[in-house]
Order: sequence, then C-alpha cells, then structure tokens
Amino acid sequence: MSAQEHNPLEGVPVPANAPAHGESIRIERPEPGLMRLVLDPPHRSLAVFDVPMLLDLDAAIAEVENEGSLRGLVISGADPLTFAGGADLEAIGKLKTPEAVGRYIAFGQALFQRIHKLSRSGGGTVMVVAAIGGPVPGGACEIALACDRIVMTRDDRSRIGLPEVKLGIVPGWGGCARLPRRVGVPAALGVIVPGKLVRARAALKMGMIDRVTPAEYLERVGADIAMGREKCARKTRGKWSWLIDKNPIALAVIERQAAKGILKATGGHYPAASIALDLVLRSPRQYLADALTEERRVNSTLATNPITKALIGIYEMTEFAKGLAKDHQGNKVEPFGRGAVVGAGIMGGAIASLMAERGMSMRLRDLSRDALDDAVRDHQGEVNKKRKRRHLKNHKANAAIDRLEVTTGPEGFGKCEIVIEAVAEVMKVKHIVLGEFAELLGPNAILATNTSSLSVAEMAQSLPNPGRVVGMHFFNPVRRMPLVEIVRGPQTTDETVRRIARLALDLGKTPVVVRDVPGFLVNRLLAPYLDEAVCLLEDGASPERVDRAMKQFGMPMGPFELLDEVGLDIAGHAGESMHRGYGERMTANKFLKPLVRSGDLGKKTGAGIFRYESGKKGRPKAAGLNPRLPSPNSTRAVSLSHNDIVDRLILAMVNEGARAMEERVAASPSELDLATIFGMGFAPFRGGLLAYADSRGPAKIVERLKRIATSPGVVSRPGGPERFDSAPLLLEVAEAGGTFHAS
Amino acid sequence: MSTQPEIVLAAGLRLPQARAGGAYKREDAGHLGAAVTRELMARTGLSPDAFDEVIAGCVGQPHDQANLARVVALRAGLPQATPAYTVARNCASGMEAVTSAVTQIMAGRGDTFLCLGIETMSAYPLLFNQKATDFFGRLAFSRSIGAKLGAITSWRPSMLAPRIALVEGLTDPTNDLIMGSTAENLARDFELSRLDADTYAAESHTRAAAARDAGRFAKEIMPYFPMGASKKQKALAADDSIRDGQSVEALAKLRPYFEKPDGVVTVGNACGITDGATALVVTTKQRALALGLKPLATIKSFAWAGCDPSRMGLGPVFATAKCLDQAGVTLDDVGPIELNEAFAVQVLACRKAFASDSFAQKHLGRSKAMGEVSLAQLNPNGGAIAIGHPVGATGARILLTSALELEAGDHELGLATLCIGGGQGGAVLLERCSA
Repeated sequence: MSAQEHNPLEGVPVPANAPAHGESIRIERPEPGLMRLVLDPPHRSLAVFDVPMLLDLDAAIAEVENEGSLRGLVISGADPLTFAGGADLEAIGKLKTPEAVGRYIAFGQALFQRIHKLSRSGGGTVMVVAAIGGPVPGGACEIALACDRIVMTRDDRSRIGLPEVKLGIVPGWGGCARLPRRVGVPAALGVIVPGKLVRARAALKMGMIDRVTPAEYLERVGADIAMGREKCARKTRGKWSWLIDKNPIALAVIERQAAKGILKATGGHYPAASIALDLVLRSPRQYLADALTEERRVNSTLATNPITKALIGIYEMTEFAKGLAKDHQGNKVEPFGRGAVVGAGIMGGAIASLMAERGMSMRLRDLSRDALDDAVRDHQGEVNKKRKRRHLKNHKANAAIDRLEVTTGPEGFGKCEIVIEAVAEVMKVKHIVLGEFAELLGPNAILATNTSSLSVAEMAQSLPNPGRVVGMHFFNPVRRMPLVEIVRGPQTTDETVRRIARLALDLGKTPVVVRDVPGFLVNRLLAPYLDEAVCLLEDGASPERVDRAMKQFGMPMGPFELLDEVGLDIAGHAGESMHRGYGERMTANKFLKPLVRSGDLGKKTGAGIFRYESGKKGRPKAAGLNPRLPSPNSTRAVSLSHNDIVDRLILAMVNEGARAMEERVAASPSELDLATIFGMGFAPFRGGLLAYADSRGPAKIVERLKRIATSPGVVSRPGGPERFDSAPLLLEVAEAGGTFHAS
Repeated sequence: MSTQPEIVLAAGLRLPQARAGGAYKREDAGHLGAAVTRELMARTGLSPDAFDEVIAGCVGQPHDQANLARVVALRAGLPQATPAYTVARNCASGMEAVTSAVTQIMAGRGDTFLCLGIETMSAYPLLFNQKATDFFGRLAFSRSIGAKLGAITSWRPSMLAPRIALVEGLTDPTNDLIMGSTAENLARDFELSRLDADTYAAESHTRAAAARDAGRFAKEIMPYFPMGASKKQKALAADDSIRDGQSVEALAKLRPYFEKPDGVVTVGNACGITDGATALVVTTKQRALALGLKPLATIKSFAWAGCDPSRMGLGPVFATAKCLDQAGVTLDDVGPIELNEAFAVQVLACRKAFASDSFAQKHLGRSKAMGEVSLAQLNPNGGAIAIGHPVGATGARILLTSALELEAGDHELGLATLCIGGGQGGAVLLERCSA
C-alpha cells in the first residue's frame, strides 16, 4: 500500500556512513543445530542499534525463525569485550516528533519480542544465549534480557546496566518490563533509577546475568549452554516474587522510599527517574505486552522534550571531548609514564596524588617539608579510603601509595615527561619555577601550569621551546571537580594539547580547550554571576532567598554558598583581576570588603556570608547568617521576584558567555556549555549556558537585558549598564532570529 | 684478582632508622624497600632496567611478602623481567646481599645489582602456641556438632600465652642462648665491667648526635614520611633513637636485662630494636662510570667466618682476619672501622681480641695479635647502640656508612664488619675509589 508500511522506521535518521544491507550482523553456523548472530558493523567500532543494524537484525531473526531443527542461538559482539552500545543516541537526538520516537521504539521492541518468542522462556524451542562483555548499556542490555541466559566476560571492563534515566528517558526496549521480572523490583530500581552500570560480579550476584567466564572461554561457554551441554540454572525470585514484586503493600513502601530519594537527588528537575520508578513498580503485575506498550508511550514524549535533548547533547559533547586526545589518524596519543608537580599546596598535592593513583610515577616538590608531609598524608588517606570501600584492590592501593615520591630538592626530575606547577600565583615565581624545571626536565618535556589567573603566553616567554607550555587548570577540590580547562597559549602546539587532554581523560576529567584570556572560561563567566549576587545583597536581598532561587533554577549550590566555599578573599582577588582584565563591566562590588578585613573569609574560617558550626563528622554546616555581615545600603532588591533574581545572575553570565564566544575562548557553543556544566555545575537539564540562552530565545534575552540595564539597582552603579549592554554576538544572533548553537 | 673487574659500591641511600613500634609501626617491608629504591633511582637517574638482578637481605620476612626482594622490585617500578631473590644470614643479611652480588659479578653472571637490607621489626608477629594451634586444628577437623562442642570445651586459658617471634628469633636454637646472654659470656671472658660498657654506649650516642648535627648522615639518609602516620607526625629526617646528652650516669641507673642481678648488659648499652631499609648499587667501576655514577668505594675483599655460637660476638675478629689476609693488608693499614654495635661489651671484646697475642695464637692460627684498634677509628659516627639495629638492614647500612666515611674522613681503606647470631662473622674491606 503506502510507502509508510514498507518503512516502519520512517523519520529515523540513518547514519551518514551506513553500510549495505546484511553487513552489520554476521550469521554463523558453528555446528549443526547452533546459530550465532555476531553484531559487527563495519562503520562503527562499537555496534549501535541504528537503522541498518535494526534492519539487519530483522532479517537475521527471520532467518533464525525459518531455520529447521535449531537447538541453540548465541547472540554476541565482535569480540569478548565488545558487544554493543545501545540505541543510536545521535538519531534519538534528531527525532522531532513523538510518532517517530514511537516507531523507533516499537521496531526494537518487536525485534526483541521475536527473540523472546523463539526462546525457551518465551515458549519457544531454542535456547537463546547472550554471550557478552565489555560495556553493555541500554539497548544492548535489553536485547540480552530478552534471551534465556546471559553469559558475560569476567573483566573489569565488563559492565551491564540501563543508563537511560541519565539521558532523560527510560529504558524502552523492554528494560523496565523485563529487568524487574528477572531480578525483582528492589534490585531493578537500584539499576534503572540511578542509571548505573553494574560490574559483572555484582550483576551475577543479583541475577541480572547467569554466568561469568574468562574472555577466552566466552564463545565456548555460550555455545555449550545454548546446546545444553552445560546446565546453567537461572536464579529465580521464588517466594520473593509474591512477597515483594507482586505485593501491593510492599511496593507502596518501596515507592515512598524511592520517591523521596529521587526528589532529593534530582530536585524534581528530571522527570525520567520518577517515571521509571512507576513503570518498574507496576511491571511485574502486568502482562509483558502491556508493560512494553507503556514503555513506548512514556518514551515517545520523554525523548522529544528539551531535557532529553540537552542531556543527549552533553553525552555527545563528553564523547567529543574524548577525541581531543586523539591525533589526526584517530589514535590516542601516548600517556605520560613519569611526571612532576611543583608546589604541594592543596591543589598541587591533590593533583600529584590523583596522578599517582591513576598509574603515573610521580615526584612532588615543595620547599616546605611540612607541606610535603601533608600531601603524603592526604594521598595515603585518599587511597586508604578507596581501599576500605573496595574501590581499589589492596595491591593497587599499595602501588598508588608507592608511586608518589616527595622532595624538597631539585634532584631526581630527569626522567619526568611533564611538570605541572601549582606554586604561588605570582608571575615572577612562575617564571623562576618553570625556568628551573625547563632545565631539569630537558627540552621535550611538557611544562604545564595550574594557574587560574595568570597568562600562559606570558609564562611561556623566555622559556626554551615555548610550544610545550600549556595551562592545565584544575578546579578545587581536584578530586571532585570533573572539568579541566586546557589553556592554549598562542604558541602551544597541537601535540601538547592532545597529550594534556589524554592526561585529563586518564585522570577521569573532561577537558575543554580554552584560549588564554583573563579568568579563562569558567572563572570569567562566574565573575559577573557572583558579583551580581553581591550587588543584590547590597541592595537588601536575602542571601538565603537568592541561593534558593538559584538552586531551584538548577545550580548545585547558591552563589553565596559558593562564595563561602571558594573564600571571600580569593573571590575578591579574582574579581579585581577580572576588573583589570575586562574593564568597567567587570567592576567588582566592594560590599564584602569589611568581612574580609575582619577575617571572615568563608567556610575555611568558620564564617563568611553564613556562619558555620561543626556538623556531622566535624564538617562545617551553615547555621544562619554571619552577624557581622554589613547591613544593606538600600532596599531596592527586596521586592525582586524569583525570576528577576535568576535573570540578574544568569543573564549577566549569558551576556559574558556571548562575549567569550565572540572571542572564541571556546571553539564552539557546545564546548562552552560543557565547561559551564562540568566547571560550575550549571543545570545539566538545561544543556549548559548557551543552550539555555537558545531555549529562552536570544531576542527575548536582548530585550530583558535592556530592561535590567535600566533598572534602578543597575543603572546608577559603576559598570552596571555596561555589564547588561547586550554583547554584539548576542545582538547579531537575536537579529538573525537564530540561536547560538545553530549559528 | 688481576683479571677481575674492579667492583664498586656505586650509589647508596637509606631511610632514617626508627625505633620499633614507633614511627614505622604501620609500615610494611615492601613499602620501605620500594620507597628507598624509588628515591635512589630518582637521585641517580638510573633507568629501571639497569639491573641484572635485585638481592634483598631480610631476617624476618613478612609472612605475606614471601621473597621480599621481588615484592620490592615490582613495587619500586623495576621491570618484571628483572629477577630478584632474598637472602638471609641473620644480622648480616644486608651484607650478604652485597657479597652475593660481588660473587655473581666475579662469576661473570651480570654486572649491575641492586642490593637492599630491609627490616621491619615492628611487624614481627605474636604466634599462637602449640596448644592453641592444636586446638584450632581439632576445631577445624571436627565435623558433627557434638565433635565441635567437644573441641570447644578443650579450650584452656594457657592457650592465650603467645610465642613472641622477636624473642624467639633472637635466641640461638642450638644452645638456647638469647643474644644478650652471649654478650654476657664475652664480658666475663674479657673482664669487661658495667662501666666499660656504659662509657662506650654513651660515646656512641655522642658521636651519632655529632654526625647527625654536622650533616654527615644527611649524605646517606632520605627524609621519609611513613605510612599510617598520626595526625601530628612529621617526616623523619634522622635516626630517631639517638639520645642527645646520653650520660654514663643515666645509663648506670638501668638494670641488667639478661642476667639479673650480676650482668653488665642493659637495654642502654645494647643495640635497639629498630626498623630501617638501605639500598646500594653494586656494579663494576667501568659500568658505574658508564651509567654516570661516581662510585663511593671499591670492594677490595670480603670474608665470612664461623665461631663459637655462644660467643658469636667475636665473629668480626675471625672474619676480619680472613678478609685482610685476602687483600694482603694489615689492621694497621685500615682507617675507619664500622664494627656493628650489637652490644657494647661485644665491641669492646672484639677490640681486646684484635690486640691479644694469646687469642691470635689460640683461635686465628697466628703467632702475634692482629693489632690495636683505636677507639677513635672504631665507629666514628656512632653505631647501632645509638642509631639502632634493624637486623637484616644493618649489614647494608654499615657498608654505606663506611663507604661514605672514606671520602668524609679522607681515608684509603675502611672496614665494615659485624657479628652474626649463630656464631659467624662477616667483613668487607672497602677502598677509596680513584675515579
């Protein structure tokens, strides 16, 4: 009839380099009665359920269905540590209508249902075994769940799970329907709601998979189970299924607890988690087909909403960031074997510690023996904490401790391939230190600086071979903050940037390459945001209220909490250096000066904006406002609405972001967004600073900025109108009627 | 030895030695060895694959680090292809590591060795006694509940009495004498008084403190921040058992430890129970220069000798006689002598034996005494009484101290020798290296 019936995947984007029909799946017949489907598409290193794969799977299953006298079927990946990566996120990101999403989901569900129907547990006659390994997320996990048995490679890289919730959707190819049936409701919630991947051993324990085996035996064991040569019993829920999974009372208790946890973790900004909770709770009491229908219905709306688009965008950006460590041929550059850090302060010590833990032989230098002692103590403390929590095996913890050497002297650095300096933020000191280490390390070693405020170009001056000088800006606390700004000076070579990107990734950080401008990217954007908060305080706004407004917007902490965390003195210095760097629009508010003078510097001194008491485990806990906080100079901000507050702070940042974009401080709006999300925790569901601006509409923002610029709290203030004077790029985008991301 | 290559101590480094149960009480031997090795590699700039083999001396190997040498080599980042073995010759284990390397080089089986002496006496265990061991055996093998109950009721409080590995390890099983008692034998044989012993002990502390303050020890020690340090603890930069202002009067107040009330050996004039680690690079002179190292000393000769186990403290005399004969020199040619201070009376007894004609005739098969050893040349930087005796590490430690003393005191020949539980002595003659 119509063309639509011939193409059930209409409207689902096909990858540009899609292979011909039949190339994505290999069908093998290793022995009589056994078939093997190998997902091994030529256009990807890791199979993805994109359109060509789904069509090939359709054909392959048809072939299996028509095969007479088939006893066993094995579904596996290209090798024991490669299976598949789940649904085609790139395609989902481009799906415009709920109908298209529905079609994509329905097609996959139908395929997996056909596998299920073939299988013994689905009433068929074939023993279907998923022989998998490596990361098995999302759709890859779901196809396995449709099989009779799951065998997994025993390896640290083997992880299985359903991370859909992290992308704003819920498992849609039977994950919500099948996992609770397999492992019970509580365990299924523990996997689906946080969207985490589980290690093979833990998955075996909870019954998510049925067998673990070394990579070399995976193929054999898979075939043995499929052909009935090996008995592999499946864990059943037994009475627990009736006591919990199908017991409305128990489920009501679970629901209450889980809902509370979800609200606390997401602040109500991520609906997918609550929806997944609902689906999982109901699934064991439904027919499978009904449960699948619900998954499809729910996802059709979720997948097209802006939150999912934003989260998929972030996922794609982090994938892009991984490419920064690859050369033109797509090969990862060499990692460093031995490195050095100069300056054993809080930052330097933590950087050296993290590098040692991640496998590098490290030498840390400081002139003060006491600073070194503290660094070693902290290093051993961090490693031992991980040892205790079993995040590090005993021997790996020992090795991590062994790998950190410390010294006060200049000897022993000859074999270091990189030095990261984290000494005092004084250009003269930096020059001396880098000059000395340029000599100690030889002409090819990379000289990196962890400066947050000084110019990398100026530091590179007078150093031999300046192409290897680069900024590697970690954020405090080093172990927790996921962003590293790679500051590229005018002479920094591509190779240097790639190697630093590799290092950042190896340390578990996301790198963003930025230009060498004052404050680089994140601190530059934070400056007007934090300063605007102080202006509101000066005009009578309550700090608690401002913090609350910003948290509701989706920031991880309010601006005043952040100021106390950073330290009012440090924030003050940063503000002044921004003022020097950018002129009037960055004029720093002096309202908090008296606090700094009286020694109330924030959390570290027990009082800043807020007063701190010692809470759990002696950690400081906010306990009301600091009584020494200066009284406001006016009451202009008292009557501002929540939205007014948010706009004052966020649009000041958006405007500065537009200027940074214009100066190409980051290479693309996406990278700028990534930096805001990982560097300041900018609400991920909003997709980052410029994505947020795009969703508000640049033209509307221009208008709003105009009004703010002339509002009483801003117009009379030095630098106020300049700060809210729309940036040329913003005006340009607004006039064109476009968005940052589209231009 | 004309065709033999010149074998040298090419580099060396040690950790500060710490009283057992003190600064290093949470340390393990593998970490101590890895730390000193890493620092030595960093300072010398040696490449990790420079070594033919790693040899470590240790008396009480941790039960969970069998073949300690291999554990240390891997934890220090040496290649997996570099083999490693652990040697034990009681108190001379660290020296045995070096002489093993020398022997291998002389035999043409490699030319570059990393030699270590490591001991964590803090970690010596308490053991279940035999009765308790049997009890646990019964419990493990009883199958039925009745048998288990029966086994449990056989428990007796006496099973709680532990066997102390430290004490039993320092006791000679062939004569049941603890080391201190062998020293008391020497005090009687050589008519040494309590005052002699205390005077010597006080001098050891004085010399060690002076050497520390003059920066002499800084040449061999790397400052070290131990694992599991308490909140207030700081890095150790010097041996922590040196007592400033130790006096004969203060020492006189201590009670004899091994033989009460008439003995002369007290905890004050005996060496301390200590943790420590020393690493040395042993290679040929040619190779050392090729590696860019400035050799510390040439190993001119070495010897091992046996003697009466109940007078094991005289071991250095027997070994030194052999060692000097091999090199064709006399005691008068030797400058500084590192004679390990297991006990003050034992050092003094050796000194008397060196100078005694009758001892020489009776035990050494010589007509005349070997010669006088002046107190000034004997342990010029103090010894184990002040800085401790981590048993398996000391042999390597005195070699390092001795080698550095040649340059520091402008001497040609130096001797490092020690007594060994079980009745042995070891001696190594070092010569200043003309590089």
